[in-house]
Amino acid sequence: MTDKTAVSIIIPVYNEEESILLVWQSVRRACESLGKPYEVIFVDDGSRDKTFDILKRIYQEDARVKIIRFRKNFGQTAAMAAGFERASGDVIVSMDGDLQNDPDDIPVLLAKIGEGFDVVCGWRKNRRDKFWTRRVPSVAANWIIGQVTGVKIHDNGCSLKAYRASVIKSVALYGEMHRFIPAMSTLAGAKITEIIVNHHPRRFGKSKYGIGRVWRVALDIITVKLIIGSASRPALWFGLPSFPVFVMGFLALIVAAVMYSEPQPSEWLVMSTVALLFFLLGVHLLSMGIIGELSMKTGDYLPNEVVRPTMTTH
Amino acid sequence: MQAAILVNDQVVSGWTKAQVEQGPRLSVVIPISERYDDLREIYLQHAREISLTGVSHEFVFVLDGPDPSALKTLRALKEQYPTIVVIITLGRRFGEATALSAGFEVAKGATIVTAPAYFQVEPSQVQQMLKEFEDRGQDLVIAWRYPRIDSVFNRFQSRVFHLLIRLLIGTNYHDVSCGLRVMTRQVAQEIRLYGDLHRFLPLLAHQRGFKVAEVAVRQSKSDARQRLFGPGVYLRRLLDILTLFFLYKFTRKPLRFFGLVGSVVFLAGAILTAYLGIDRILGVPLASRPLLILGVLWMVFGVQLFSIGLLGEVIIFTHARDLKEYHAAKIEDA
Repeated sequence: MTDKTAVSIIIPVYNEEESILLVWQSVRRACESLGKPYEVIFVDDGSRDKTFDILKRIYQEDARVKIIRFRKNFGQTAAMAAGFERASGDVIVSMDGDLQNDPDDIPVLLAKIGEGFDVVCGWRKNRRDKFWTRRVPSVAANWIIGQVTGVKIHDNGCSLKAYRASVIKSVALYGEMHRFIPAMSTLAGAKITEIIVNHHPRRFGKSKYGIGRVWRVALDIITVKLIIGSASRPALWFGLPSFPVFVMGFLALIVAAVMYSEPQPSEWLVMSTVALLFFLLGVHLLSMGIIGELSMKTGDYLPNEVVRPTMTTH
Repeated sequence: MQAAILVNDQVVSGWTKAQVEQGPRLSVVIPISERYDDLREIYLQHAREISLTGVSHEFVFVLDGPDPSALKTLRALKEQYPTIVVIITLGRRFGEATALSAGFEVAKGATIVTAPAYFQVEPSQVQQMLKEFEDRGQDLVIAWRYPRIDSVFNRFQSRVFHLLIRLLIGTNYHDVSCGLRVMTRQVAQEIRLYGDLHRFLPLLAHQRGFKVAEVAVRQSKSDARQRLFGPGVYLRRLLDILTLFFLYKFTRKPLRFFGLVGSVVFLAGAILTAYLGIDRILGVPLASRPLLILGVLWMVFGVQLFSIGLLGEVIIFTHARDLKEYHAAKIEDA
């Protein structure tokens, strides 16, 4: 390859031996029509079927293919992070390896990046999944994520997304953060948009997600909110809730003072202990904020690290 | 110029290509800490077994803190076998895990064997371990002293230790404390050992997706005597298991742990407080029942736990780039 890679397609796969070849063929067809040098990075997330053997054959036939193989299943976030790290294109596209996304949408996503957006999310408006276990929880979760983080995207869970490489590479991805890539990328100052994409019903295998993740996602949403809200000032984020706690403490103290003058024998004692507990919590929260501030200052996260690239038009 | 190069598909960093090609294929690392037997005998017996396999090898002895008498024995060995014996002395006592790490740094072999500095397992079992390692393509093979010939008490404390590991962490190993292990260079380099973590090497390796196997080996007769430790030792082991439990499950998501516990405690406190509040309105005075303090205490405690989880998340976020959480077995790249 003499030309610099323009587009990197990242496809995390896990036990997809039936669909992987079809995915590659349709991705190749879609990418050929782009007329730009591209690469396809398959991330084998510890598959135990023949996925890796099939990938290896694809890799031997085509120099534009890269494979990253995990020793065991580390999850989708880790797979995406590994792909981002090794992608050499200026624009990165991620998609599922189960044929539910349509590679023909890639040119549309790229056009949006060309318009100056940094993250373009796919929106599976006509989603072809089970209604109660997949679609209803998804609509609810996306609404909550939009309200809490302020990034109002209809379909955070859609894997088909395009990113400006310089922006997405500066976004920290860990845990199960792949659901929150749009929200997290606002930290890097990304301009975000979404477009409607095709969605096909599952042809092979079964879905790798279930419904038993509501609680975990809820905690993740709180984390994302905390990180976005406090990226530069954690002291503030912890400090604000300590204010109502102090107020409660003072209220309890006033109640105790009033009770002291009443004939009730020792009720004031109970109330003043409660007041003390509230003060304790307030001080605790304030000091947590200070430690958080310390951690932010000494960590390798720098809010102004991202340099927005000058726009290139193709 | 030192560069990362590949030997048998494994990354070997820090050594020049010539050094690795000339170096031995197998390194035996022997940490010498509190407990050790006649080191000369240890060397001779292990070396005999390994020589039988015909693989080029070296022995790396790591003295955990200065020990003049042990050093004297080792120097004599080195004089006799200058190309095979390597001696490292640590400046002070750091513990077995650190001694192992120091040995791994110096070891040149593509395969690394760790052996205890005392007779824990019959040295003849090394060959069987190596065979299992080669034949089944494992990344780490650990020894399992089975059947055990030592006292009921020894077996009992080992059983309790491993039961706790199984309950908290969910892995099913029988003898993680055994010092005889065979591993690829990559396992030795990728897993950072410190404190007392050497015991948990198989668990840490498993977490990173390495293939780990156990091989039943014959226990040495001199290992059979009864061992009773001070209460401090047992407490340390318990704390080790708890540390590992947290590291294993929640390193990247502290809020999952603290958030869950915190919410439950807070909820319990809130229910109790609400109940007392209603009672107070209905006319039962609080004075005779300081239960309110307990309710509020629980609520405060719950919020504290939750906020500790949040703080953990902040710390993980700011270090996300250092904590590479995936481990690629192979990268095929044109």
